[in-house]
Amino acid sequence: MRHSPLEIQHRALGARLVPFGGWLMPLQYPGGTLVEHRACRGDVAVFDVSHLGTVRVEGPGAFDTLQQELSNDLRKVGPGRAQYTHLLDPADGSVVDDIIVWWVADDRFDVMPNASNTAPVRAAVGGRDTTAERAVLAVQGPGARRVVEAVAPAAAGVGRFSVAGFEFSGAPCTVAGTGYTGEDGVECAVPAEVAPRLWEAFVAAGAVPAGLGARDTLRLEAGLPLHGHELGPGVTPLQAGLGWVVGWDKGDFRGRGALEAEREAGVRRRLAGLVGDGRQPLREGAAVRRAGSPVGEVTSGNFSPVLERGIGMAFLDTDAGLAPGDGVSVELRGRALAARVTALPFVRRPGGGA
Amino acid sequence: MPIALGSGPVQVPDDLRYSAEHEWARLQGETVRVGITDFAQDALGDVVFVQLPETGTHVDQGGLLGEVESTKSVSEIYAPVAGEVTAVNGALADAPELLNSDPYGEGWICELRVDDAGSVGGLLDAAGYSQLTTE
Repeated sequence: MRHSPLEIQHRALGARLVPFGGWLMPLQYPGGTLVEHRACRGDVAVFDVSHLGTVRVEGPGAFDTLQQELSNDLRKVGPGRAQYTHLLDPADGSVVDDIIVWWVADDRFDVMPNASNTAPVRAAVGGRDTTAERAVLAVQGPGARRVVEAVAPAAAGVGRFSVAGFEFSGAPCTVAGTGYTGEDGVECAVPAEVAPRLWEAFVAAGAVPAGLGARDTLRLEAGLPLHGHELGPGVTPLQAGLGWVVGWDKGDFRGRGALEAEREAGVRRRLAGLVGDGRQPLREGAAVRRAGSPVGEVTSGNFSPVLERGIGMAFLDTDAGLAPGDGVSVELRGRALAARVTALPFVRRPGGGA
Repeated sequence: MPIALGSGPVQVPDDLRYSAEHEWARLQGETVRVGITDFAQDALGDVVFVQLPETGTHVDQGGLLGEVESTKSVSEIYAPVAGEVTAVNGALADAPELLNSDPYGEGWICELRVDDAGSVGGLLDAAGYSQLTTE
């Protein structure tokens, strides 16, 4: 089990720690998941996301390596920008991992895979695993900039999907305008030794500590995929509605052939949102039916604190021809729950964007 | 006796009886009021939905009474004693969080007319249940 540099802080706050992707991380603090969720939607929350991997790829060949190994086209961005991208399985175009790349400097990239996928990503892109040297703190919500401004003013102005350096407590740090909540916010990668001081400063400035429970309900409302649920073996970016992650214009890349074949043949299923008629959470693995016939399966489900209804993401068979507004039933432990198909995301922040 | 957990001491009132499945039962004449314990609600986390039984249904001891769903899991509620459901707590439909905030009071789940009033005496007392939750 790996431990976050912030574990002492989490314990002092009364966090419930759980194993996640090989790490011991906070599920929730004493206020609970709903309080943390609403804090993030209404003002500002801070998450320890040190379990995300960091693989540093640098040198004159770094750009070409990433262009070849990852699906998105780095030419759409540039140094000082972040990009969401996938590592694909060349056999079937399915998603080995979804990744954020921080283009830190001309020949330097911080590739950030999911906790448990660091090894296959590193095997593909090379580089050095720097995960153990740093912590990553995500400050998210409409009040995120206010809190960051109070603690590290140089980090507060970073644009959405931009990357910048800043100094905290004399240590060189990196900030990106990224997150996983559907809210405005930043993620700060900082040397492990200054992480406790930064965490405590964010909390003192008013950010509510939030755990993996709220992170999951927030990303679900925002319609953001989670590897192992909406992405993974057998699931391609096209099925997940993430065609924009595929750099069709950049020439060959790992998995291109399989994706081209799928694009040619047409995707057999597509990710959609489902909203239940009541509060009952939709749940992963539940069968989705239309007039009695199976048309798909729920990949993630829970209660939406904002909509106060059960919601879920589901793969729906393209052949079923379902569109937003169509009624379906979701089988939950032997009972059929009425739900409607909806476009993603479920909740969109007032400023626009997901 | 209170147990120290991450989010504070867990309450186990002396005047209730308990099942090993973390339900409590309060005998009121020929009926028992049933709910889930403070230990159970704390372990579940934020409760967002409760599937209540239908009144008039008869359940055996250990039979399925309903389900409690939190943001992280689904948990079944079992009848601590056999009986017929005579009342359900309709307030839980819109405010399931009462199970978290007041598990022994406003967060009660249902009432059963017990088949055998003596069956309640076969349940754990507060000391026995406290011991169970600290094992």
